[in-house]
Formats: sequence, C-alpha cells, structure tokens
Amino acid sequence: MLQVLWNGIFVGSFYALVALGYGMVYGVIRLLNFAHGDLYMVGAFVGFISLSALGVRTGGVGIPLLILTLVATMLVTGLLGVALERLAYRPLRGSSRLSLLITAVGASFALEYGVRIVAGADPQVYPVRFDLAALEVLGVRLSGQQLALIGFALALMVALHLLVSRTRRGRAMRAIALDPRASALMGIDVNAVVSQTFFIGSALAGAAGFMAGAYYGKIDFLMGFVIGLKAFTAAVIGGIGNIYGTMAGGILLGLVESVGTSVLGGQWRDVLTFGVLILFLSIRPTGLWGAPVAERA
Amino acid sequence: MRHRSSRWTAVLVAAGLILSGCGNGLLGDPGGAASDDGPIRLGMLAPRTGSEAAIGPYMQNGAQLAIDEINAKGGVDGRMLELVVEDDACDPKTAVAGANKLIAAGVHVSVGGYCSGATLPTLPVFHRVKIPMIIPAANSYELVEQKLDNVFLINGTGDQQAAAAATWIGKQRAASVVVMHDNTSAPRDMAVRTQSRLASTGVKVAVEIVTPKESDYSANVAVALRAKPDLIYWTGYFQEGGLIIRQLRHAGYRGAIMVGDGAVSAKLVEIAGATEAAGVFATMTQTPDTLPGAQGWLSAYKTKFGQEPGPYSNQSYDAVRLAAEAVRAAGGTDGAKVIAALAKVDGFPMFSGPLRFTPEHTLSSGGFQILVVKDGRFTLADPLT
Repeated sequence: MLQVLWNGIFVGSFYALVALGYGMVYGVIRLLNFAHGDLYMVGAFVGFISLSALGVRTGGVGIPLLILTLVATMLVTGLLGVALERLAYRPLRGSSRLSLLITAVGASFALEYGVRIVAGADPQVYPVRFDLAALEVLGVRLSGQQLALIGFALALMVALHLLVSRTRRGRAMRAIALDPRASALMGIDVNAVVSQTFFIGSALAGAAGFMAGAYYGKIDFLMGFVIGLKAFTAAVIGGIGNIYGTMAGGILLGLVESVGTSVLGGQWRDVLTFGVLILFLSIRPTGLWGAPVAERA
Repeated sequence: MRHRSSRWTAVLVAAGLILSGCGNGLLGDPGGAASDDGPIRLGMLAPRTGSEAAIGPYMQNGAQLAIDEINAKGGVDGRMLELVVEDDACDPKTAVAGANKLIAAGVHVSVGGYCSGATLPTLPVFHRVKIPMIIPAANSYELVEQKLDNVFLINGTGDQQAAAAATWIGKQRAASVVVMHDNTSAPRDMAVRTQSRLASTGVKVAVEIVTPKESDYSANVAVALRAKPDLIYWTGYFQEGGLIIRQLRHAGYRGAIMVGDGAVSAKLVEIAGATEAAGVFATMTQTPDTLPGAQGWLSAYKTKFGQEPGPYSNQSYDAVRLAAEAVRAAGGTDGAKVIAALAKVDGFPMFSGPLRFTPEHTLSSGGFQILVVKDGRFTLADPLT
C-alpha cells in the first residue's frame, strides 16, 4: 500500500507542475488555456532535440548538461507561451469567454500537428535515460530518478511561491487577478504582466515535459492532451487560480488514480479522474482551497 | 457577440446538412463509379494521424510495393492498379467517414484496416455496396461475428494467437500468469481468450486493464505484481508495451514477459530500453525477418522507401496481391464475383503460408510463432509447428 501511495505522489507531482501553469494563466486572465498540455509536449520535444543535437547518445551524460538542457527547454517553451498569448489570445481578450476557449482549442491542435510535421508521427525515444540506483524504504521502492524529479518539481514550486508572494511582479499578478481594469489604472502594465505569467506557466509545463521525457523515455506529439485534461482536473480540485491549492490538487489526483487502480482495477483510472472533475465542477466549483465566487467577483 | 456566434452556428448546421446530404447521395448510387475498364482502384483505410499514426505509412508502402510490382508486369488483364488511401486515425467516426470517401472515389476492393475498433463500423458501409474487404491487420473476433460475406481477414485471429500464447505458456511451465490489455477491441479479445484457455489448463490467471496513451503505468504494475506472476502477457500495442516492460523491470519484476503482435516493433525495444527488453517473448505472425527467402522483398522495400518495413507492411503487400489475384479470377471488378473468387482461393502463396479461407473467412492456419528479443531485435524463438 505504501508503494501505491508513493507512486501516486510521484505521478501527482507531474500533474501539479503542469497544473500550476494552467492555474496561473486562469487566475490572471480567466482563460482555460487548452494548449497548456501541448506546451508540456513541446518541452519534451525541445529537450529531445537539444539532447540529440548535443550528441549525447550514451548514458554517460553529466548532470550539468542535463540542467543546461532543462533551462534551455524552459526558455524555449516560455517564449512559445508568450508568442501564443500575443498572437492568439491578446487580440481576443475583450471578447466573449467562448471565443477565447475555442481559440485555445485551436492553438492546441496547431501545436500538436505542427510538432507532428516537424518531428513525425512516430513516437521518439529520449537519447538519455536517467538510471540511478533504487533504494528500498519500508518495503517501498524509491528510485533515485524519482527522488531527483520530485525534488526538482518541489524546488520549482517553491520558487514560484516566492515569486508570487514576495516580489513586485508577483504582487502585480495578484492585482490583475483581482481586477485587471483597476490594476491598469494603478499604473500596472497589464500586457507585460500577462506575458510574464504565460512565460512562467509555459516554462513550468516545458520543464515537466522534459522531465517526463527523460524519466519515461517515450514522447509523441499527442502526449500533452491527456495530461492537459488531468492538470485541469488537478487545478479544479485545488481551486483554480490558487497556487497552493493547485499543488495539493495535483498530488491528490495522483493519489486518487493510484489508489483507485489498486482497489478497483486499471479500467477505472480515467473514470475516477474525470468523475472527480465532474463532481467538483457541480458541487464545489471553487475547489478545496479556492476563494468563494462572491468574493472574487 | 451573440449575433456573431448564432450566425456561425447557422453556417455550421447548414454545412453539416450539405455534407450529410452528399453522403447519402453517394451511398444511394454506388454502381456509378464502378466501371469495368478503367484502372482497378484499391482503397486503404489506415491510421495516418492520431495515436497509431506511425502505422499508416508502413501499410501504405507495403501496398504500394505490391501495386508497382503488379503494374510493372502489365497489371491485371491489362488494367493498372491504383491505391487510394484514407486516414482512419484509429477512430471509429473518422474511419466511417473515410470509408464513405473511398466509396465515393470508386474503389473496387478495400485492402485496409488496422485498428479493429475503427475497422468494425466500416464493415457494413462496404458491405452495403458489395465491396470486398481484405483486412490486412485488424483481427478482433468481433469482425468475424458480423458474419458479412464481403469480409476476409488475412491476419491470424485473436483466438489463433491466444492458442499460440497458451501453448508457449504451457511450454514455459508458468503457474501464475497476468494478462494485461488496454481495453480496446483486439487486445481485449485476445486477452479474454488467452485467459479462458489458460484457466482450462489449471494455470492461475489474473487480468489487468490499463488506460492507453498514458506514460505512467506504475499503479497497474503494482497491481499486476501482487499476483506474483511467472509470466506477464501484454496484448496491446507497442507504445504502452515498451513503457510497461520498462516499469515492470524497474519495479523489480524478474519473471518472463511476453507481448502480442501489436507490440512487435523495433520501437518497443527502444522505448523499454535494450537491457529491459532483452528476453521479452512475442506471439507474432510470420514476418519477412523470420521467413527464409524473404531477403529479396526486404531489400526491394528498403530501396524503394529508404527505410525498413514496419508492422503490417508485408500483410498489406499480400492484401494487394490477393486482391489482384481475386480480380483476375473473377474476370473483372464486379463485387459479388470478386467475393466469390476470394472464398475459393486455394493455396495462394503469402508470407503467412499458402492461403485458404475457413468458412468464416479467416485464415485456416494462423501461422503464429514465438519471437524473442535478442541483441535488441525480435528473432525467432520457436515456430510452434
């Protein structure tokens, strides 16, 4: 059972990392960015291409090189997110929620099939495989790479927390989330802050994609779709727009899937996930830790 | 805003009506396109987008190779062959739309069908206009259960594969087996049949179902390992298969692993990792790799397309050859005559051996054999004959 919980926490930390960007973007401009999962996919491919280009074909790759690739991947996906916002979402910011949503779905398809044209339909396999020794604690098998990835995901989340709660920029983001028009009147450059939000959210998704690629090994152009939906679910569970709630929501969703599979069987995994989504949307749309709607409006 | 969105809705609805109207019109008049002197059109539904998008080109290339060979020899009774390919995206709705497009394009014989779930709803579409279907890959028993006279399966059936799997598991003396599948048509069919065959021989069997297209199967792996299996049989496709093999090994599983024909691909080994995949068994129909004397075919394929053939390249090649043979025997492309000619084929040489159909229009012998991954490649372990 402990093993099941550990598996859930590990998967959940990926969901959380992707869900954070989802939640941040929603929090700031009230847009469900359906292309967010595809930025995760793009991150996996950027990492794949740069690692391959660096000629790392064997397992003897140093940690510095991996971190360098990760940073490069985050930069590229971050900029892509900014470009996406500039080209597809900003022109529609004043219009109805529905047209933004449809544009987001379109952006998602554009990214998926764009990558398909560049990288092909075949799944690709990462040239580097993390292989660290596994250790057993209380009968639970923890692999070194799992610990490293969870540690890294936590570090990114803490960095995000500090950014949003302790810096001027973070304060501006929170202000826009509360009231974009008043923020503009107060002299906040709304467009710049929205761009920064997209940059950070997309960079986090790209980092998650790269880490998933390096850990699981297989990447393909549709890999972002399901995780995008699950990140959305995680964000809804935690309270969309609430950073800490979203992190907890991701871990919780991972645990629901893992325990559900173990108790009910694997065929129930997605039924549970999306059942939870429907349950929350209908009974408690603000999530476990979200602010009540009345206060937000 | 409101105006604009309702106007768009109206446009969409109108477009939908026009499209569906077209579909009916074409279905209502199938005979118009089937002239008896122009080129012989072979239609192929294969996944070119979606999760199985990698398979489409392998099938298309295999079919094209056969067509070019036959045309180089003057075609069939002086008529050239022509391949028309439509994408089915491994998705039932897309597949039905694709089947209607093929019929509209005037195809005479269908030589496609990979995902059983997507192929199934196209059966009645082709049946209605009496187009013979030679299905190179899809092999769920559900296809046979439709009892349609125009449907011919040239891949071994799920039951034949399950029999091969059970025979090999018996030879391995495995006492406890876990069968894993992805809950789609053919893999589920194969898993259920393997399970019932094994259960009748007294082997302890558990079934574990996974969700396809995920990356993390650690939860399923943990459940499977609780049964303490000696052998785990994955009946699904290669992408999930590679991940499952890797995650099983990393979870400390040391027993045997076997995969079904949908997972036999060089990519499976790549995804799982060479160390993790070493020693993995597979139930598979005969392929050029494991057939003596297929070297010429392999090199012809490589010269033409600049890459190795993949899964179902050779079955698609055979489907086209068989279609040409049936049209020749029927003396034309009349659907009913071609269907009758197909049912009568006896001893036509194919990769899977001399062809004869059972009354159900499946192969009389599945020709499944056991492969094993050695030095990163699938090689013959036991021909099971």
